[in-house]
Amino acid sequence: MSVEPTLARSRARATIALLALAMLALGCALSGCAGGNDGASGTFTPRVKDTLTVATAQIPDPGFWYGTFAHPTGGFEYALAKALAERFELKRIKVVEVPFHELVRGHLGGADLALSDITITDERAEHLDFSTSYLQAPPAIVVHPGTQVADVKAAQGLHWAVQHDTTLREALETQIEPTTKPLVFERQSEKLAAFADGRANAMLLDLPIALAYARESPREFAVAAQLPSEAELGVALPSGSDNVEAVDSAIRGLKSEDEIDRLGERWLHANIEEGSAEDIPVLRTEE
Amino acid sequence: MTAALIEISSPKGAPYEFLVVFAVLLLGPVLFRRAGIPGIIGLLVGGYAIGPHGLSLIGAGNNTLPDLGQLGLLYLMFAAGVEIDLNLLMRYRRSAITFGLLTFILPFALGTLVGFALGWETLAALLLGSLLASHTLITYPAIKEAGLAADPAVATAVGSTVLTDTLALVVLAVVAGSVGGHKSSADVAVQIVVGMGVLTAFSLYVLPKLAGWAFRFLGTERSVRYVVAITAFLSAATVAELFGIEGIVGAFFAGLGMNRLVPNEGQLMDRIEFFGGAVFIPVFLVSVGLILNPSVMVRGETLGLAGLFILACLGGKQLAALISARLFAFSRAQSGLLFSLSAAQAAATLAATVIGFQLGLFSSAVVNAVLVLILVSVLASTLAGTRASARAAMPDGPRPLGMRVVVGVLDPDHALGALTIARRIARADGGVVHPLLVVPESAPFAPKPALQRLAEVVAAADVDGQVMTIVDRSVLHGALRVGRAQEATLVLVAEPGPEPAGGQRQTGESAQGDAAGGDGGRAPRPVASGVSSEREQAPAPPVALVRGNATRLGAVRVRLDDEELAPDSLAGEMARRVSGGAAQRLEQDHTDWAELLAPGDVTFVSSELGETLARLPGAGEGLVVSTVAEWLIREESAGDEDAPETPGDVRAV
Repeated sequence: MSVEPTLARSRARATIALLALAMLALGCALSGCAGGNDGASGTFTPRVKDTLTVATAQIPDPGFWYGTFAHPTGGFEYALAKALAERFELKRIKVVEVPFHELVRGHLGGADLALSDITITDERAEHLDFSTSYLQAPPAIVVHPGTQVADVKAAQGLHWAVQHDTTLREALETQIEPTTKPLVFERQSEKLAAFADGRANAMLLDLPIALAYARESPREFAVAAQLPSEAELGVALPSGSDNVEAVDSAIRGLKSEDEIDRLGERWLHANIEEGSAEDIPVLRTEE
Repeated sequence: MTAALIEISSPKGAPYEFLVVFAVLLLGPVLFRRAGIPGIIGLLVGGYAIGPHGLSLIGAGNNTLPDLGQLGLLYLMFAAGVEIDLNLLMRYRRSAITFGLLTFILPFALGTLVGFALGWETLAALLLGSLLASHTLITYPAIKEAGLAADPAVATAVGSTVLTDTLALVVLAVVAGSVGGHKSSADVAVQIVVGMGVLTAFSLYVLPKLAGWAFRFLGTERSVRYVVAITAFLSAATVAELFGIEGIVGAFFAGLGMNRLVPNEGQLMDRIEFFGGAVFIPVFLVSVGLILNPSVMVRGETLGLAGLFILACLGGKQLAALISARLFAFSRAQSGLLFSLSAAQAAATLAATVIGFQLGLFSSAVVNAVLVLILVSVLASTLAGTRASARAAMPDGPRPLGMRVVVGVLDPDHALGALTIARRIARADGGVVHPLLVVPESAPFAPKPALQRLAEVVAAADVDGQVMTIVDRSVLHGALRVGRAQEATLVLVAEPGPEPAGGQRQTGESAQGDAAGGDGGRAPRPVASGVSSEREQAPAPPVALVRGNATRLGAVRVRLDDEELAPDSLAGEMARRVSGGAAQRLEQDHTDWAELLAPGDVTFVSSELGETLARLPGAGEGLVVSTVAEWLIREESAGDEDAPETPGDVRAV
């Protein structure tokens, strides 16, 4: 038996062992296994210790936020914020008011994240990072009870109120194309006021919000139809935030545990997954 | 004016999205294989290219591709279960179970340790351990191609797959059931145990019976049989989800349950592999590619994770291979084969990773690190497999008897009994039965109606092989030629048996005379063992005659001497398989054995002598199976200069 092959084999084994050790050391160093705290699902680091700071544009917002900015008391997005805080083991939630048009331009007013019925779009993703979606939200046509909207032509003849810098304005202009110039407002409250005093007799709202309005004030609001759309709401974070992975994993986890369904049933009184509004007709548009 | 008439908008909608996906299915694997990289990587990278992190042709809000991918994931696990060779597991159960446990436990322990060392929560660490512990037989086709399928080490590794994948999926079920923390550990345990019990009973007992029934009564059309298979795994996945167990566990168990009904060389398996390989599984891989994010993948954190995963997985797999090789006295080359077959991570790993991601246990950094692990493991196992295959010695020894059975049929109306016997023999080896209609040269015969009738009988017998036809001078001669060309492990010849007096034979040939080459009473001649001719020919397979017919089999008896009942005897082996080892033995000098035959009863007799063959009783009431003497096979094969080495003049129907 020759000595050389045995020697060569021993060297090869030693090289493989050294390589493995080097990989182990490098792997540990890079992934931070020596006392690192980066979990498998990502780590959330709040701006203020033990506090989840959430930005939103409007409170109250039926179904989504109740109470005041200083003392929010409930609503789907508030409950979602609480579930996130619990998952990240944060003790408190602080809510800050930021106008919607500021939010979608990436200004979160120092908050960790924004929960404000924000539809995920490529344009907004240039200023914000989004989590995976937590709610489907196609545009819904809200009218006064008794108003019929049988088709797009009927919708075109209505007097519309719409909010500036929203996907709803884009949907109105591209899918419905009203014959009368719509009234455009900076804030949702102004849009609602125009609808209430008769300056407008139709407006677009995200479907879950529209359903919440119609349920809470059935004499003032009726949901006439929804538009075909894949619009979805997501948690918005400052662009480049290190917390995206953690928030994304948390939303996926809440969805897989059916927690989001439970919140929807409690605050929006509807199964908010697909088929949530089967009784609301879809208006066929060319877009 | 022209501009007003023609309006071209930017592409969008379902047709455009499907076009993009199918372009990736078409180009991804082809381009990567040309560069010497496995096609699976091409699909993953293609998914990235069209996804939200790439060209964004498929946006983040798109649900169609992920939904299709989910179906592909279930399909993948079903295919993994149905393709596993349960016979190899049974034949090499000691080494397969030992290696299966080692190659699961070592990477599982190392992976879990890595998870804990990284500070992960327990569920995530356990899931990491389990996904590193499974394996996919990516290198098996190449090793099989090298003629090493029967190597004990290869059989051990293949057999161990059912154990590793089942254990990995059980861990996944426990982890998925525990996520959320709404239930106590005891509740989760009860839920999983009851769920797995119901799922096992449904998949392994109820489903095969239902599917077998559907194949027999609904499955004369190929498409119907395929849809039955799809329905089967979807129903098992649904049952699993009723108990909070991931659907992929149900799909895998459905595959195991349907394993015997879907022989690896059968038409149904061919269809399952075709649609799976062409559409469903690639779509799943493309949907996984949507998560792939190079900016995350090249991060130090991701690469660090990948390095640790690779060490834990490949280190554990290598250790298991070395220990098993020592325990079972395998050579170094065989140890390399064990490693090569067990190291590749793909199906179950990807499935568990995707589930971990959906559950929110894993971030995209972990998913991307696992994708790096998959790439490295596939490359490492391919290299190791090539090297070990070159060094390993070719295994000797015969192929299992039921691997590929050709049943020569002259008259389809008398073929059901022979096909049923053939199916039982083949099923024991996970083999396939190929029915062959032999059209006599001499008889005026229209094969189309006979072929249609044979197809009906084949469906009634629950046989899944390729129906073929050949024009030949005799049914034995035709069956032998096709048997040699198809490398059959057994040829059965369906004998109609004598018709009642005055009856007309449809095919116009004497069965006995036909089987014996027209000379049933020929005197025996001593022959050397094995069949050969001056010209190099494919070896002739063993042959048996099945006389009589039956819609279902009854009592099985053997009228064989001790030598013929020896483990290596053809007649004894056939009798054991058909009866499940419970054949009643008749004395060799039992003269009235034919009178015992009731409808459906089968008696195995020996016929080393042509004289005995000629005196086989008419089995109008039952079935008689007789081996054919080697000299007769040789006689039939002699002078076959025109014998098809490939099925040249055999027509597959």
